Amino acid sequence: MSKQTTGAVLIAGGGIGGIQAALDLANSGYYVYMIEKNASIGGVMSQLDKTFPTNDCSMCIMSPKLVEVGRHINIRLITLAEIKEVRGELGNFEVDVFRKARYVDMDKCIACGACTEKCPKKVVDAYNQGLVKRKAVYVQYPQAVPLKYVIDAEHCIKLTKGKCGNCEKTCPAGAINYDDQDQNVTLKVGAVILAPGFSPYNPAGKLIYSYDNNPDVVTSLEYERLLSASGPNQGHLVRPSDHAEPKRIAWLQCVGSRDTNTCDNAHCSSVCCMYAIKQAIITKEHDPGVDCTIFYMDMRTHGKGFENCYNEAREKYGIRFVRCKVHSVFPMAGGEKGQVLDYMDEHTGKWTRTTFDIVVLSVGMEIGPQVRELAQKLGVGLTDSGFCRTAAFDPVSTSRPGIYVCGAFQGPKDIPQTVVEAGAAAMRAGIALAGGRHTLTRAMSPPPERNIYGERPRIGVFVCHCGINISGVIDVPAVRDYAAGLPFVEYAADNMYSCSQDTQDNITKLIHEKNLNRIVVAACTPRTHDPLFQETLLNAGLNKYLFEMVNIRNHGSWVHKEYPQAATEKAKDLVRMAVAKVAQFQALEEARLEIDQNALVIGGGLSGMAAALALADQGYPVQLLEREAHLGGQANRLYKIAGGESVQDGLDSMRIAVANHPNIRTLLNAQLTHVDGFVGNFDSTVAHDGGTETIRHGVAVIATGARESRPTEYGYGGDARIVTALELDERMRQPDPALQQVNTAVFIQCVGSREPQRPYCSRICCTHSVSAALHLKELNPAMNVFVLYRDIRTYGEREKLYKTAREKGVIFIRFGLDDKPRVQVKDGRLEVEVRDHVLQRPVFLEADLLTLAAAVVPYKDEQLARFFKVPMNADGFFAEAHVKLAPSNFATDGVFLCGLAHYPKPMDESIAQAQAAASGATRLLSQKTIRTSGTVAYSSPMDCSSCGVCTAVCPYNAPFMRTDGPFKGKADINPVLCKGCGACVASCRSGALCLKGFEESQLMAMIECA
Amino acid sequence: MTARLTIDKDWKPQFKDKLNRIIPNGANLSLCLTCGACSSGCPASGLEDMDPRKFVRMVALGMDQELIKHPWVWLCSMCKRCSYVCPMSIDIAAMVYEGRKLWPREERPKGIVGSCDMALKNDSCSAMGTPEEDFRFVVEDMLTEVRDNQPGWEELEAPIDKQGAHFFLSQNSREPVTEPEEMAPLWKILHLAGADWTYSCTGWGGENYCMFLADDEGWKTITTKTLKQAESLGCKVYLNTECGHSTFSVWMGQKRHKIETNLEIAPMVSYYARWIREGKLKVDSHWNRDLKVKFTVQDPCNHVRKGFGDPLADELRFVTAACVGEENVIEMYPNKSNNYCCGGGGGFLQNGYKEARLHYGRLKHEQIQRTGAVYVITPCHNCHAQIHELAHHFGGGAYRTVHLWTIIALSLGILAETERTYLGPDLVAVNLPGY
Repeated sequence: MSKQTTGAVLIAGGGIGGIQAALDLANSGYYVYMIEKNASIGGVMSQLDKTFPTNDCSMCIMSPKLVEVGRHINIRLITLAEIKEVRGELGNFEVDVFRKARYVDMDKCIACGACTEKCPKKVVDAYNQGLVKRKAVYVQYPQAVPLKYVIDAEHCIKLTKGKCGNCEKTCPAGAINYDDQDQNVTLKVGAVILAPGFSPYNPAGKLIYSYDNNPDVVTSLEYERLLSASGPNQGHLVRPSDHAEPKRIAWLQCVGSRDTNTCDNAHCSSVCCMYAIKQAIITKEHDPGVDCTIFYMDMRTHGKGFENCYNEAREKYGIRFVRCKVHSVFPMAGGEKGQVLDYMDEHTGKWTRTTFDIVVLSVGMEIGPQVRELAQKLGVGLTDSGFCRTAAFDPVSTSRPGIYVCGAFQGPKDIPQTVVEAGAAAMRAGIALAGGRHTLTRAMSPPPERNIYGERPRIGVFVCHCGINISGVIDVPAVRDYAAGLPFVEYAADNMYSCSQDTQDNITKLIHEKNLNRIVVAACTPRTHDPLFQETLLNAGLNKYLFEMVNIRNHGSWVHKEYPQAATEKAKDLVRMAVAKVAQFQALEEARLEIDQNALVIGGGLSGMAAALALADQGYPVQLLEREAHLGGQANRLYKIAGGESVQDGLDSMRIAVANHPNIRTLLNAQLTHVDGFVGNFDSTVAHDGGTETIRHGVAVIATGARESRPTEYGYGGDARIVTALELDERMRQPDPALQQVNTAVFIQCVGSREPQRPYCSRICCTHSVSAALHLKELNPAMNVFVLYRDIRTYGEREKLYKTAREKGVIFIRFGLDDKPRVQVKDGRLEVEVRDHVLQRPVFLEADLLTLAAAVVPYKDEQLARFFKVPMNADGFFAEAHVKLAPSNFATDGVFLCGLAHYPKPMDESIAQAQAAASGATRLLSQKTIRTSGTVAYSSPMDCSSCGVCTAVCPYNAPFMRTDGPFKGKADINPVLCKGCGACVASCRSGALCLKGFEESQLMAMIECA
Repeated sequence: MTARLTIDKDWKPQFKDKLNRIIPNGANLSLCLTCGACSSGCPASGLEDMDPRKFVRMVALGMDQELIKHPWVWLCSMCKRCSYVCPMSIDIAAMVYEGRKLWPREERPKGIVGSCDMALKNDSCSAMGTPEEDFRFVVEDMLTEVRDNQPGWEELEAPIDKQGAHFFLSQNSREPVTEPEEMAPLWKILHLAGADWTYSCTGWGGENYCMFLADDEGWKTITTKTLKQAESLGCKVYLNTECGHSTFSVWMGQKRHKIETNLEIAPMVSYYARWIREGKLKVDSHWNRDLKVKFTVQDPCNHVRKGFGDPLADELRFVTAACVGEENVIEMYPNKSNNYCCGGGGGFLQNGYKEARLHYGRLKHEQIQRTGAVYVITPCHNCHAQIHELAHHFGGGAYRTVHLWTIIALSLGILAETERTYLGPDLVAVNLPGY
């Protein structure tokens, strides 16, 4: 591009997708503007209690990311804002943003909450799904970022009627500003990422759900708040209408999804089956006595670990699954409690009526009118269902160049898939703006570090009031005075809010004035605030490890509310211990590590090629390894993508792009034989073309794929008419003229999947069979086509294919694991017998073609796993660092994951994940050097007994045995790989290992004075 | 039945093909997700080992031989509660309608065949075969009786074939034939409302059994005749008496059979509501303030779900509350468009499957019983007849059923002693005229 591109990206939407994209971009050399319509970021994920399938606390895993965005030097957060217009083109956009007045000065607000307390106006709380009220001046939720209050202008008495003014009078910081004005700002960016998320389907006004004016019928999001410890009932599960303990709870699936009658949502919302299971499990964990029943059409547990979760829900938790769409919900007459559900019991075949205490409507996702309008304004194309239109080979690019998309707006999806797409969108934007990288970002430049070696400890202690959060219980001045008298304490003070910007400046000043060399802050949790204070130390020229934080809020005033005196004593104890410890602290060094700029991509299938192209397009040299003689992997055998795009055309252009790319070197027939090194500095030995070579690379992407299993049932192998899905695709690709002559074609699903010996769902087969059935119908509309299935899992907008197939006359017959179809060849006739699930009668199908939807199975490459020290799950797929928030990373730094090696997935998702993996890799590569933590283990080789336990227990492969020198055979720690978890230290029986910052002397000092 | 179903080269689902040909989009039957919502909400589920989902499935699987002359098509009242929630909008009632045609006409239930034929035989369109002159006689006789015996009603009119009247009023045959005194309350209401209305000797029969019979030609003939007669009298509004299927047959018949007309086809209830709102009917619930007699309302499927929707259900409640006091109306659930069919619709009352009909009606009975109401207001003849029977069969007469005109007239203080057949002893002497 001749014109200079703007090295900034605008991200519309501060949910988990926007957050991930922002962090990827801001950490790889681009400036980010994040536009959020609400007063704080977090989106829907921040409202969830827990996340499936691991039931991690949603807020706990999200909060660090919120904090990182909020504090990032290269992210500018613009809340209460929306896009008005986008002018210009890729590389040089001008975006008009409208920002509503907040009426609270963000620079002054210390989030003490005094304003809220005095505000007389109560308003329905949208964050809590309207289940409770909040005030007109408020903060969305306690962990909100930015943690700054906002005035709801629609309801504020001062702003609407000119009266009141309480908040202005109470605010100790003078932050209230009733004269604040709405603003229009114009931002210059090179690319835009749309991450506006979804709207939950609103069942209001629909008679069949009895949702209006009925507190005992709730949406799934409302139920999420009811379960949440931060929700209206503090997580105590009650029937909303009378707070009685519920005995029976029902979930109704597909409310606002897969329905073109009572609503206009033809799509499947993809996530509701799993969240209903999650909610039912959490309910059972609250009270195992509650009867939980989920009414469904097809259980769609098609993601990694989902089927296990479904099985556990049934078998371990005793959750009842009834395959029946309940006709409607209605209350009892005369105000009696209970919601009546009529349904057909599939086991008895009988009409059944049951009364439930709470009915949860598993509402689907849709795209609201505002987002649709925005799309139209931006010239971004939408699908029939209102989701953003994208192409399989370019899954995060909208129809307008330079505007990318991620998350639920691209199509209904869960958090991991959203995070994947966020990475992909960041990658696509990054490629487009490669020329502008590092042109608009800033770097931190702290003053030189003061050497304190040999100085006597001069400790500063700062005790925080946290508004009234702490001082409402604990006698803060008493703690301060106590601290002042402790050994080595040079200075002690108390602050209203230790975290406010002015306090930070003050601490910096005091460090200089009092010549302090160690700091203790007694306040809230180090989880969110450690980095803030460490930064303050850095700015004052102190090593950031000369700091200790004491949590006297969460561990003090909050939990000992009833015992203020004891809580004060405990605070003193904690401060005394921290002072004793910090006195022992020494400055720690952070290792600096050069990142080799080469990337290695292992696997030349679709995902591998996509990852290689994404990295190469940004200028990084890539070595692409493929074990076969040609690129393309499984995609070489595929006919069409669901929806009709030709696989081979797309694949061909990718192969050409790879072959012609100056930054990609492809090694075919290649085998990895050895890997040395660690993040930034890997040395991999590759055997190819009769020789071997060693490749130095900074990052690695594992894209080794998976394959179609060979069926061992349904007569496979004994008759030419019985084929696998890929074999059918090959015949379609030829094309085989005999296909047209088929009178009756039958598909059998879940062949080798969802069986006890292979419990996972292969995710892609339902969509594939439905598409193949449609291709057959195209070849010969008179052909009889039957699909025998267990649950049809055409998730998301793929549901449309399922609908079209039925429309064209494809007949779907459901079977259970205990009554599978029987196949036999008799007198040359191929007969498939199955029991029809509706009529409960045997059906004999005389087939000319039987296609088995064989499972997708991993290669279980244990050698590769060992080379890079990456784990595999029980099924043999590689295990990512975190199923929700790091789906394309490994816990091992510098190694990334994508494609079928992670889990079965369709091509668009494989490509998105490849781009996400490349995005993760880019975050490392673009920094050229990285600093590792100073809190790492180290070894005293004299004491080491060479037992090797440390190397076995470390999940990050940091310990190693020295191979030369005087301490040959003794353990040592690679500080670059060490995450400071302490596992090796605890397991070392010789006391040879220690953790910096947690030295024995330091801990003993604490204990001795405890 | 567990007979095996074989799908081979000769498999040819003819009934499905026919439906695909004659019903737009084949009633969407191929789209079936087999989700079960239809059967879950159907009171006919289980009758004859059939339910809506099975019916659709048998059609889809081409089990034509078993569908021919299947009795279940007469046990489905075509109330469309299934289609109301069907995520794919499958018109099961339309399929059942065609399913009825799989019976030779002469083998279809005698009661329905006879009533249809009777209506086709004479110009009155009365399913009871009441000739035109008999109708004129009964109306005039009843009118004379009221004028003579009810003080203040000397000017009451019941015009027949009045040229230029605004409303053309249909009349179900039941009243003139078996209980003529039930006609008078409505006349008095119309009188107080100042409505300019007329009956007609031709095409007055407010019923259409040919529709139940799935005899399209017969349905069309009857609807055409009654609409044309209204037009020829120069009327503006075709006003249906309190009868669900008759309202539906005219309203839907006009569309389905593409009968040209400028008439407004309207249900009675919405006019009751309008007249009350306009102050023309000064109903008063004062009589029930201390009595606290409880009422519930039955939403006729043909009026509400299949016809005019929840707005009409709301009008029905408005009228009822105005007459008996809001605090004395107890909702039955489910209600409005989601209400259960009582089992009197679709020709059920005339098709001879009595046992099945009562079984079907059990849900309605339980629904009513749970309200604790003593009266069920049924602005529909078939609902009225069925619920009346349910009350006696299951309920030992624990509740009674009344037409809306009875209660309006009661609350207006114009309901004569002779017009209280359906009221119980508690209301026999309440708010009598002249006191």
